[in-house]
Amino acid sequence: MSLDPRRLAPGAPVERRARARRVGRGALFLVMVGVAVVMLYPFWVMIVDSLKSENQFLSGHGFSWASWRTLTSTIPIAQEVVSSTIICAVSILLILIVGLPAGFAFAKLKFRASGVIFLAIVSAMMVPLQAILMPEFVNITRLGLTGGYTGAVLVYAALGTPFSVFLFATYFRGVPDELIEAGIVDGLGYVGALWRLVVPIAIPAIATVTVLQFIQIWDDLLVGLLFIQNTSERPITVGLAVLAAGRTTSIPALMAGSLISALPAMIVYLIFQRYLVKGLTMGIDR
Amino acid sequence: MTGSTLGARAPRLTLRRRRQLAGALFALPAVGLVVGLIAVPIGQAIYYSFTQWDGLTSTWVGPSTWSQAFHNPNLWTALENNAWLLLAVPFALGLPLLIAMLLHQRVIGWKIFRSIYFLPTAISWVVLGLVAERFFAFQGTLNSLIHFVGLGHVSTNMLGYESTALSALGITFVFTMIGTNTMLFLTGLATLDTSLEEAARIDGAGRWRIFRHITLPHLSRFIQLAFVMTVIALFSALFSLIFVMTGGGPGYATTTMEFLIYQTGFAQGDFGTAALYGLILFVLTAIVGIVQLRLIGSDE
Repeated sequence: MSLDPRRLAPGAPVERRARARRVGRGALFLVMVGVAVVMLYPFWVMIVDSLKSENQFLSGHGFSWASWRTLTSTIPIAQEVVSSTIICAVSILLILIVGLPAGFAFAKLKFRASGVIFLAIVSAMMVPLQAILMPEFVNITRLGLTGGYTGAVLVYAALGTPFSVFLFATYFRGVPDELIEAGIVDGLGYVGALWRLVVPIAIPAIATVTVLQFIQIWDDLLVGLLFIQNTSERPITVGLAVLAAGRTTSIPALMAGSLISALPAMIVYLIFQRYLVKGLTMGIDR
Repeated sequence: MTGSTLGARAPRLTLRRRRQLAGALFALPAVGLVVGLIAVPIGQAIYYSFTQWDGLTSTWVGPSTWSQAFHNPNLWTALENNAWLLLAVPFALGLPLLIAMLLHQRVIGWKIFRSIYFLPTAISWVVLGLVAERFFAFQGTLNSLIHFVGLGHVSTNMLGYESTALSALGITFVFTMIGTNTMLFLTGLATLDTSLEEAARIDGAGRWRIFRHITLPHLSRFIQLAFVMTVIALFSALFSLIFVMTGGGPGYATTTMEFLIYQTGFAQGDFGTAALYGLILFVLTAIVGIVQLRLIGSDE
């Protein structure tokens, strides 16, 4: 019936091969468990070290809730989480408001030199903040935007815009022209078509941009460190990094704070995993 | 309003014009943001790199700032550190490739393993830096492991010495890149036509030959993308790790270009030289970007 050569082989080797295969699978499973242990190591460190008082940490024995109980007095964690949340939300909103129409325009409403301008914006993706850090810092400070979140939000938005424009444009290229044509002819106008037709179609792309930018901004240090002047408006990563670099804060408290800072991004990540993968491989995934 | 009455003569042209106008207006905010906060600062950096600048006042010096900068040993130390760290790139690509191949075998629970492997990707490098510090600390996990395998007399404090701190940073960097790169490669493997592998296997091709001649060529674009992302991260995303783990030290042992920019500007207040260093970093990343464009171009 079948020409599978394994079927034509005599009985004994088949059995041996099957057993070898089972052993192989078992070994593979063990290797994967080993890798999992390594990848879970940061969480283990954070949990175990946070469950110690400072003395217990230094002596290496015993567990307690001490560091968690005194956490809010060691690190202004609640305020920092609020700051991080505000910065993330406003930056992402700005990136979407600016990136979505631009991506749509570059894909469907081509204008003079739009190809060249698109290329210029996309290449801005490759410019690291450090390369323009000094002028950027002086500009934002001169404009008086480092008190409050405005400066940091603007920098995050500018850094996130090139990628989101690229992603939206790539996404809209896959949408048939007729669909949008019909909306515009139906008298929706361009803004109406954008809002009522394009945005609903683009929900998956919006999700991808949101998730990627959320993790990027929530986890960032440099922008929050330099473009937010007031310590009372610091986001959580900056708070942790500054305390860690100061080397006077107890490590159990830092680990408890780290765990809290890691949670939101992890939850977002686990729920929206597939959008993340989509965003990362945008442009080469066929 | 007037468009609809006048447009009767050439309605198509008006429609096209309006569409172009709408497109330009839609793109304007994004263009403004990128020009204002990325393009203009590049121009400013070029100007200020020729000046003495403390952030408030600048005085024109001229090209001598550049020759002076290249005589500064700290610049060369930072560039050297970046070059050494490039040695981490093969590991930051190879290990994820291996892990992706393992996941692709789809043993029981592979989806759970996949989620676990990707989980550190969500965590801030600030936090991962803190954890890495615990790992390399004198009373940390690494020394416990060394004790455990019976080498009790050997104790390391990798972050404490100039000779080993950079290696510790490199190892941490490899760990932080594993999730993202594994994700990329796994996506690549998922697009691979399994019947090809099957056919090769029936033809008697060994595992290595299948990997070498079918899997690897198929993954080439994904590997290129991972390579570029890894190198760019190496040049511009280590700041959090360095800030938390070593502060650039001991001495200048872990000061890379991006950290040198920060230190020169904000610790020494020499904004002009920091802007100049920024341009050097810009050129380095631009080279990587151009190489990538070349690679993609040669593909098509």
